[in-house]
Amino acid sequence: MKEENHDTTHFGYKTIESNQKESLVADVFHSVAAKYDIMNDFMSFGIHRLWKRQTIACSGVRKGHRVLDLAGGTGDLTAKFSQLVGDTGQVILGDINDSMLKVGREKLRDLGLVSNIEYVQMNAQALPFPDNSIDVITIAFGLRNVTDKDEALRSMYRVLKPGGRLLVLEFSKTDNEALSKLYDFYSFNILPTMGKLVANDSESYRYLAESIRMHPDQETLKSMMEDAGFEQTSYQNFTGGIVALHRGFKY
Amino acid sequence: MWISVLTAIAEQVVNRLLALEPTLKDDLQNAEHRVLALTLTDLNVSCAFHYNGDHCFVYGNYHDKADCHITTSLATVPELKDPSQLTRLIRANKLDLEGDIHLAQAYSKAFSNLQIDWAEHLSGYLGDAGAQQLVTSLSGSKAQAQKHCDTFQHVFAQLCQDELNVSIHPLELQQYKSQTRALSQQLAALEQRINALID
Repeated sequence: MKEENHDTTHFGYKTIESNQKESLVADVFHSVAAKYDIMNDFMSFGIHRLWKRQTIACSGVRKGHRVLDLAGGTGDLTAKFSQLVGDTGQVILGDINDSMLKVGREKLRDLGLVSNIEYVQMNAQALPFPDNSIDVITIAFGLRNVTDKDEALRSMYRVLKPGGRLLVLEFSKTDNEALSKLYDFYSFNILPTMGKLVANDSESYRYLAESIRMHPDQETLKSMMEDAGFEQTSYQNFTGGIVALHRGFKY
Repeated sequence: MWISVLTAIAEQVVNRLLALEPTLKDDLQNAEHRVLALTLTDLNVSCAFHYNGDHCFVYGNYHDKADCHITTSLATVPELKDPSQLTRLIRANKLDLEGDIHLAQAYSKAFSNLQIDWAEHLSGYLGDAGAQQLVTSLSGSKAQAQKHCDTFQHVFAQLCQDELNVSIHPLELQQYKSQTRALSQQLAALEQRINALID
């Protein structure tokens, strides 16, 4: 989603030139790549594993499928998909950031997952695949970092096969006022401190908290998916709406 | 979210069993890359099992198409251990099965045939003799516990039956009391009438 006008966008709470966002986001992820997994466990108290489990359960991935794990980072979802699609299927771990891809590749190779995984550095707004060529696309905690979310959703719709589905796992908005206050305190006070202590980088984790607040809420993202062409769109909230899983189909 | 926690635990258990019992993989060969879904109507919970030949994935809140979909109640689940009972359960309307029954039978057969050689697996930690001793003691304790449990059940059932013959229901007691009270009132009235006639 582009905000304000076509030349500017948000980077956390800052308004910047659209063409600057990619490099600024890249800097954030270059900085956190090495400690990404450990920080995920720390920050979410391990709950991110349950959110990802539910994403896999909703993916409908079967043997022989071609799956694109966009913004796949260190490959948590790719590892599972690789086992589900079998030898006849393929999983493409895509990320715009080469540092994250390197960490992901190393991790998956250490797990012995090599035969059916491809690593591609790519921009979600211009996916380098032919039309109707992918069965399932997932993007977990990545869409909010994309400069033009509408364009990215259109690009995903284009490459999906008819009958294919998109799953967007992303931070969202909670309706519970008490939880919201607690979450705000945690995000803006504890999270940057944890980032400083564990990854020696408080700024990146401040950006994380800010970018979550700037990300569209559940209903807005659902309508954005519908605008991109997706049908039967739905979402389910996890942990009181702190995270939501959106699902849409291409027919 | 609790269903994700439960399925994560179930997945760990199933995969541990797969590692401990090599024949389980042979028994599940026909289930490779096929999805068995299970819906428990009383709990309103759906889960699914997806075995890929090496690892079994257990999903919670599964609503996609499965190769075999069983809909039943929690109370019927223990009966699924016996593959020969599946048809009987369907006829008794205790189980609804959609899709390939052989997939359900494959899972049922695989898990009912589980015979893990615990002594073999524990021998790496305790030594052959220690592991065998532990497994034998545990088996003995289990048999003993089962025997006590059976005895308790028998005694309890007997007590209930004996008690059934001598005790009455509280409602019956109340009815008896009210009838006695009515009779006593009738007697008092009769006594008064007799006294009046004598006078």
